[in-house]
Amino acid sequence: VINSLHVEERTLFKKLDINLIIVILALNVIGLINLYSATHGPTSTDVASLFVSQFLWLAVGWTVFLVVTLLDYAIVTRIALLIYVFNLGAIIYVTFFGKVALGAQRWIDLGFFRYQPSETMKLALIMLMAKILASRSSLGAGMGLKELAVPLICLLIPFGFVVEQPDLGTAMMLAAIGGSMMIFAKIKKVIIATLITACIIALPVAWKFVLHDYQKNRILTFLSPTNDPRGTGYNSIQSKIAVGSGRFFGKGFMKGTQSQLEFLPERHTDFIYSVLSEEHGFVGSIAVVGLFCFLFLTGVRIAINSRDKFGALLTVGVLCYVFWHMFVNIGMVIGLLPIVGVPLPLLSYGGSSMLTTMAGLGLVSSVAYRRYLF
Amino acid sequence: VSTFVSNPDEAKEYLGRYKLFYVVIGLTLTVFCMRLWYLQIISGNELREFSEKNRIKQNKITAPRGLMLDRDGKVLVENLPGFEAILTPQYIENLDTLAKSVGPILGLEPDKLIQKVQKSRRQNGPFSQIRLKENLSREEVFRLKRMRLDTPGLEIRESIVRFYPLHENGAQLFGYVSEISKRQIPLLNDLYKGAMRFEQGDIIGKSGLEENLEKDIRGTDGISFIQVDAHGREAVTRTPNIYGEQIKDQIPSHGNNAVLTIDRDIQEVAFKSFLAANRIGAVIAMKSNGEVLAWVSTPSFDPNEFATGISPTTWSKLINDPFKPLRNKVIQDHNAPGSTFKPFVAMAALQEKVITPTTVVSAPGVFYFGRRPYHDHQKGGEGNITVFEALERSSNVFFYKMGIALGVDKMYDYIHLLGIGQKTGIELAREVSGTMPNSAWKKAAVGEEWQPGENLSTAIGQGFVNVTPISMAIAYNTIGTEGKVVKPFIIRKVIDQDGKVLRENFPQVIRDLQQTQPNGVHVSAETFKTVKEGMRRVANGLRGTAKHWKIPGVEMAGKTGTAQVMGFSADQIYQNCESRPIHMRHHGWFVAYAPADNPEITVAALAEHACHGSTGAAPIVRDIIQAYFMKYHPEIIEAGLKAKNAPRAKAEPVVTTEGE
Repeated sequence: VINSLHVEERTLFKKLDINLIIVILALNVIGLINLYSATHGPTSTDVASLFVSQFLWLAVGWTVFLVVTLLDYAIVTRIALLIYVFNLGAIIYVTFFGKVALGAQRWIDLGFFRYQPSETMKLALIMLMAKILASRSSLGAGMGLKELAVPLICLLIPFGFVVEQPDLGTAMMLAAIGGSMMIFAKIKKVIIATLITACIIALPVAWKFVLHDYQKNRILTFLSPTNDPRGTGYNSIQSKIAVGSGRFFGKGFMKGTQSQLEFLPERHTDFIYSVLSEEHGFVGSIAVVGLFCFLFLTGVRIAINSRDKFGALLTVGVLCYVFWHMFVNIGMVIGLLPIVGVPLPLLSYGGSSMLTTMAGLGLVSSVAYRRYLF
Repeated sequence: VSTFVSNPDEAKEYLGRYKLFYVVIGLTLTVFCMRLWYLQIISGNELREFSEKNRIKQNKITAPRGLMLDRDGKVLVENLPGFEAILTPQYIENLDTLAKSVGPILGLEPDKLIQKVQKSRRQNGPFSQIRLKENLSREEVFRLKRMRLDTPGLEIRESIVRFYPLHENGAQLFGYVSEISKRQIPLLNDLYKGAMRFEQGDIIGKSGLEENLEKDIRGTDGISFIQVDAHGREAVTRTPNIYGEQIKDQIPSHGNNAVLTIDRDIQEVAFKSFLAANRIGAVIAMKSNGEVLAWVSTPSFDPNEFATGISPTTWSKLINDPFKPLRNKVIQDHNAPGSTFKPFVAMAALQEKVITPTTVVSAPGVFYFGRRPYHDHQKGGEGNITVFEALERSSNVFFYKMGIALGVDKMYDYIHLLGIGQKTGIELAREVSGTMPNSAWKKAAVGEEWQPGENLSTAIGQGFVNVTPISMAIAYNTIGTEGKVVKPFIIRKVIDQDGKVLRENFPQVIRDLQQTQPNGVHVSAETFKTVKEGMRRVANGLRGTAKHWKIPGVEMAGKTGTAQVMGFSADQIYQNCESRPIHMRHHGWFVAYAPADNPEITVAALAEHACHGSTGAAPIVRDIIQAYFMKYHPEIIEAGLKAKNAPRAKAEPVVTTEGE
């Protein structure tokens, strides 16, 4: 009892979770090196400027990270709804008036940067969900329909609009993050069972009425990529060739032929991990997956040690965000999942993704910073 | 402030759920590691190969074909540098605009170009290159080069164009080259099993010596490896080895050269003589040891047009020409020999002792066999003549009598040995044998018994007898050399680029008729001498049918002949030949050797639809033999000219009424 009341003067530096910062920095450095290679091949002069741009975003990201770390995350409970509503407004705007890219409406042109509201929505959803779920009792059998109604509505509104954009990858990410958080907060087993059954029934309906042709193609292609090696299966096959051809030690920095000679599509965004695997081989690939695992373990430890339920849920939400992105992106690159346009946090090029990730991790850092009561 | 720390039950419950996190993270790490291990370690080598195939494209470097040289080393067939336009469907961005911009430059219709690309894409895949046009002109190259930058898929490549400096002259002998057809690929790969490999886009010899010499003059193609990016553009990297070992290009090796027995000078004289006389037909000149000196078949075609991609209109004109320019008439056309057959019958009759050199035979204007009259071309007949006059004046009745006395089977025994009705075995494809009939042959081929009347037509070279110009040259050469049947040949030797001899052909005597042959027949030197004297008189005697074409200092010996093109009744045969439509006129023959006593050169000429051998074929033969002696024995010609000029003989008028 005495120990718990012991008060110690702690410096700013000591209160920071150094492990978290080091692992993020490590992934940043690897990300930058890898992005340099992906944007400086003999045929990629058109994307060379992206490296500098990413470097700037990283600086912005770290500023946000440090600011958020130093803020008491308790403020989030007060502004979560506001951020959510603002974001939802942006999503609705984008859905109807946004710029069209790759057949989907996704971003607002802010002049210096293309803002993707669906990307920041992920973080807004995490904050609002953490707030709502923290008020629910996690004892007993778990949440029933009544307790689930509000978080479900919070999830389904942006989900619906993002599906409409149509950006199925982001929509799935929203569902995965929100769903994971609700399951973490505990749901009645009956409801989970019912939901699973409903999903199975809904699948063929969704196939017929909801999915666009290109989305169906991606799934079909995933099931048999050799059907159309020059068409929809091209990305998947070239990515697997890139990863596999790296063998144990890789082809070396700037020497990945698949990426340098543009056989890999979207190599600086969605397929950034192929570039890494090709140039740095099994060793580099495992190292990055290992760093992500270390990040998750650090995050879980922070959640365990958090000073309150909201902090724990917030940390869990951000971890789910990073985890699902990593899982779907790498799974896709190495041919375990269909092609979905999801970036790899901290490694893929992209301002929205970098900002969201760094802000989210800033929240985790903030939870860690405030794990001590005094 | 905190709900978490103050509620130990909730803390416990959350703690349990973190375990789920560890499980999920652990599972993900395991699955990803296994997958990466599978891709990078187990399939690593295979996928590395795929990535190499992606970036390294092989381009064939066509090996130049070997040259064909004449006996003095003069060029007969060679290679010239050129440019060709290539399309690769995979890299085409907009086929319609490409067709509209490139088509007019190359003189191709855009629709046809689109069809061609789509067809090739379907059949050979998008990476298979399409040769749009070969041998581009300077202007075409210039205009395409400017376009290439914004026309992906279009390429201008240096190429080798086969060039035939003699153009139409000897086209059927030298042959032509063009792109291999899809159907030919498996056939040729089977034919040259292992020795050579043929693939789409290869240029191969399609006829003549180009086809026959394929194995010798075709080089080994090289391969150049280039690094390309995903759009098929060549990717030049800062250092050549940035992506590991650069594969070394395989240098193509030049095909071997063929030295022919052909004499380009004589070849040119032969063709010019044909053109000057405006004749169609064939001529072959060979040395008495079998070396072919000149070989012409007309009408002809320009093989250079094939080498640069022949146009459909030119092609259809060639195959629809009634006078068959693509056919090598020296070996592929057989015709009745007409009177040129008579020396063979004379030889058989003398050797069989039907007659002796001094036997006088009555040769009236009409000869009745059974009830049927057989006419001589001279209404009054030739009177009582020996074999010498019979040959000199080409008496039909004399040889009718010989035919009856000998019978077809005896004629066959001798004449067949001269090579008539047999292939000579020259190194060219599609030689036909011609026909030397006998009674057994007729039974087998026609299914009827031999009729005694047919002995008459056979004896004057009509009826079933059919000969190729080359077999006539061999047969006359046999008489001239008094029995030596030689094997004609054109390929003297094959040499590599350093001049090393790889293969060599030598003159070859197949049989000597002065020796007893397997069928018990031999021909004595006296018999040959008698026939030769008769043939000498044809060109030199006062009433010789070819007496108007003489060479100063050199005596020719030979025989004229007329081959009926269609069956006219006897009185029609010699009437108004010149007034008939050209395709109904008779063919004229003249086969001769010189010098008459000890020949060095034998020439057989067939002047199709020329009506007469003496006016149609003899001048060509004379020109060739004269050219031969002027080149190889100028002193004989000079001496001859001096002797002629001394008494100043007056020029004799050319008389076209000839007796055959």
